[in-house]
Amino acid sequence: MQTTHQHAGGGHEHKAAPTVEEITDFEVLEIAVRELAIEHGLFTAEDHRRFTEWAESIGPAAGSRLVAKAWTDPAFKARLLADGTAACKEIGIDWAEPTGFGTPSDYMNFRVLEDTPTLHHVIVCTLCSCYPRPLLGMSPEWYRSTNYRRRLVRWPREVLAEFGLILPPEVEIRVEDSNQKCRFIVLPVRPSGTENWTEEQLAAIVTRDCMIGVALPRPGRTADVHPVHKARHPVHSSPSMRAAE
Amino acid sequence: MKRTKAPHARKSAGNAPARFKVGDRVRVKDLPNMFYSRTQMYARGVSGTIAACTYQDLIPEDEAFNQEGRLEQYYIVRFRQKDLWEEYPSEKDTLQTEFPDRWLEPA
Repeated sequence: MQTTHQHAGGGHEHKAAPTVEEITDFEVLEIAVRELAIEHGLFTAEDHRRFTEWAESIGPAAGSRLVAKAWTDPAFKARLLADGTAACKEIGIDWAEPTGFGTPSDYMNFRVLEDTPTLHHVIVCTLCSCYPRPLLGMSPEWYRSTNYRRRLVRWPREVLAEFGLILPPEVEIRVEDSNQKCRFIVLPVRPSGTENWTEEQLAAIVTRDCMIGVALPRPGRTADVHPVHKARHPVHSSPSMRAAE
Repeated sequence: MKRTKAPHARKSAGNAPARFKVGDRVRVKDLPNMFYSRTQMYARGVSGTIAACTYQDLIPEDEAFNQEGRLEQYYIVRFRQKDLWEEYPSEKDTLQTEFPDRWLEPA
């Protein structure tokens, strides 16, 4: 919230500036087409809301299960690398849903990019926001930002370092710009220290960012643990608080 | 609700033979942009290697305006980052992206 300070007559007057909501031409177009479709009875507003609710509720859990299964089942991994779209059905993900031919942005050409100790993949869509939504859900805000999109293709090491991922120069970084109809996820290298883990345990450390390629899976680092950064000067340890005790 | 098959789901075998195979050296053509293209400027005129023959589909130049259009083979091409960006510091790093047949020529 922005405020303006006016120094007149010795008093302070705070005026709240209104938040301006920007809307793009494409958003206007989407609303117009949607309202026309509802008027013509192609679907109802309730249908639209339910579809949106469903689409936005998809998370990265299916992708995590896919990676964990590939790590533990070499035959499944071979099938996954040969035909990603078909192998997804084995874990209950059908790229054809919900229309029978996918959606206008979730085409049925899914490929898995396998990392090795000397090769690291990372995905981006420089043209828009192409993302493997049936497996990972909606893309994060930063993935759609022009900053990430225009810089990852040109300065991948620097951008990965901004995510906290610094890779040694002997590891080849391969950027996959998914600007046509293939959709990708990264199959990271299974980290050491996870020997004899179950698929469920493994899936927990395969977070969304590991499958985009901006992070590496690590034992003990799971998506369901809220990261808390300890305060350096916690309020309950201040001298005045200690004096009061 | 009436459903028609999406254009990208149509497969037309033999309509668009693959001119290239995995391992072939290709150069991305630098054609003028006629209304719509998905061929990124950074790849124009740069040579790379076919990494995969992916699928046959409508070309974006037609699909942007029509349900009907020309089908072509698509390819994933692998570039050396150094070939895309002259000042790129590492010899090793690569970038892959996808093109329909018409945008590629033998290199």
